[in-house]
Amino acid sequence: MININVLNSFLNISMKMATPLLLGGLGEIIVERAGVMNMAIEGIFLVGAWGGFVGAYVSHSLLIGLLVAIAASVLIGLVYGFLTITLKLNQIIAGSGLNILNLGLTIFMYRVQFGIPTTPLKVQIFPDLSIPFISNIPLLSQLLSNQNIFTYLAILCVPIAHIFLFHTRFGLNLRSVGENPEAADSAGINVARMRFFAVLIASILSGIAGAFYSIGYLGIFTDDMIAGRGWIAFAVAFFSNWAPISALWGSLMFGVVSSLSIVFLTTGIKAVPNELVLALPYIVTIVATMTRKSLRAPKALGEPFRKEE
Amino acid sequence: MGATRFFDRINSVIQERMRKRDNFSWLFLFPIVSVLLGVLASGLMILLLHMNPISVFWDTLKYTFGDYYSIAEIFVKATPLILSGLAFAFAFRGGLFNIGAQGQFYIGVVLAVTVSLKVTHLPGAIVMLIAMLVSSVFGGLWGAFAGYAKAKFNSNEFLITMMSTYVATNVLNYFLNGPLQETAKFYPRTDSIPTSTNLPILIPNTRLHYGFILALLIALLSYFILWRTTIGYKIRTVGLNKNASQYAGMNIGMVYVITMFIAGAFAGLAGFTEVNGVQHMAMQGFYSSVGSDGIAVALLGSANPIGVVLSAVLVGFLQVAGTIMLQTSRVPSSIINVTEGFVIMFVIISFFVQDRISATSRKREVLAKRKSEGQEAS
Repeated sequence: MININVLNSFLNISMKMATPLLLGGLGEIIVERAGVMNMAIEGIFLVGAWGGFVGAYVSHSLLIGLLVAIAASVLIGLVYGFLTITLKLNQIIAGSGLNILNLGLTIFMYRVQFGIPTTPLKVQIFPDLSIPFISNIPLLSQLLSNQNIFTYLAILCVPIAHIFLFHTRFGLNLRSVGENPEAADSAGINVARMRFFAVLIASILSGIAGAFYSIGYLGIFTDDMIAGRGWIAFAVAFFSNWAPISALWGSLMFGVVSSLSIVFLTTGIKAVPNELVLALPYIVTIVATMTRKSLRAPKALGEPFRKEE
Repeated sequence: MGATRFFDRINSVIQERMRKRDNFSWLFLFPIVSVLLGVLASGLMILLLHMNPISVFWDTLKYTFGDYYSIAEIFVKATPLILSGLAFAFAFRGGLFNIGAQGQFYIGVVLAVTVSLKVTHLPGAIVMLIAMLVSSVFGGLWGAFAGYAKAKFNSNEFLITMMSTYVATNVLNYFLNGPLQETAKFYPRTDSIPTSTNLPILIPNTRLHYGFILALLIALLSYFILWRTTIGYKIRTVGLNKNASQYAGMNIGMVYVITMFIAGAFAGLAGFTEVNGVQHMAMQGFYSSVGSDGIAVALLGSANPIGVVLSAVLVGFLQVAGTIMLQTSRVPSSIINVTEGFVIMFVIISFFVQDRISATSRKREVLAKRKSEGQEAS
């Protein structure tokens, strides 16, 4: 029933599905380590997907698409940072507002530009690249080779984020802002600037993650095409206990489950209802937040920093 | 979390307004200004389509208020929004973020449609009563789970309500593709429920049903619970200051569970009014924005039951106007989401402005007091 081809494509899709979650999750880890929850993540994914598609479609260049995606998500990140860091407004409320706005804006702007096309407009997606040596190893080649630039970028970001957070002075400062902003402030660290920096890094990574769906995987843009995947990336940060290396496993777990449901659908295996498979990542996240005793959020997570108090 | 602190500030602003009766209009001023700015911003978006926003808006208004059907439609749309808005607002009063009204709504939908389809040997009115009760109880239990997880494991209720929404979506889809799928077995939807279980129509020749009255009653009920009962007092106290309530010997965990149960029950009830009042069936992707619209409604209404009703009617109007705008001017109906988004952004910024105003007025009072004391002394 399960032959090697199914297994190969299963591994390949798992890694593909994990890619944006890893990118977004790493961004979320960095920003939450600085004490800010990026609650606009779902909207930034969406803007990234939209920007990537529009940029690539208009310019016929995938690279320009990616740059448009990054620019658009940085813009949203700036607004989010202004609301939550400068004006010190509640992060959940500011994020919910921005997500509603982004959903409307992306759909509206797409209609303004393209009307209602009879067949969905397509762009060429980033091609898969094979890596020498690894591409000769069975199974592993499907996981780590034959992927496109997004996946390699995501994997590369794991050690970079780890070294940045735990082995550089800057990373230490960033974490201190999330743990004890008062102490960081009296040590001469500019809390607001540090948090703004973290929000922008997270926005860039989330924007690239969003662009993966439009120009790295599907080649189209549809209304609300992210459909909650930004929140899974958000959950990856919780799930991985705010550690970049665990985020790799966390996102891969979600990727495996998503790809499981795709394989079930295409091969017609009906061992369990497909809906249960689809719900599994969310159930696992809920169970994880309830059972992982070692789960330790940055202390000042979600708290606006008020210097005068 | 910053939630309680933020809530504290908002509430102190509102209470201050309430105390000074002459300043009560402030409570309405900010939402109204936010709405006007939001409409202005979306008018600018219409310019992008090379259309005249003023004539587009004028045509839309003319047709929206042109006949009873369209006017009644505003209240049809407002009904689930009142309930999902209350689902967020009620929990917010208790210092909790219930982002999962969408999921609680879906659970309500599943239960309402199951009862209406399967309980066939009882009179329609009784079946509806059961559907109403069961959908609100199960919506409530779905919400209460997040309260329980927070109480027992100190889980983040925000994350749990969010994640459980996607679980609920799959629960609904499972029933629509499996046990409850239509007899034709073609689309992921149910059969139509018997006409005896359709909520009666309030105004003939419109779609306005008694669910609207129910939603108004629930808004009154939530006001009553919060401000006239002991448990409501506890909920608000926990919302204002969790640590002080714990110190005063309150069982905070229990309060969390009850708060989330009631909030979830409101959203579950919206499932009942939509199934039995409007759609008369359930289908995949059923009203997938009722949750996020509810958050918008609750914020616009300052998490106050009366404010929620008013802003639900407003958002209902925007939705009807959006559909009419598409028909009359061919403006994409996603303009409603844009308007809604802009309005919410302005409401959020107005929180900051209100906060500033109350802070400076407090400072001025203190200064004036000090000055007069100084004059007395000299």
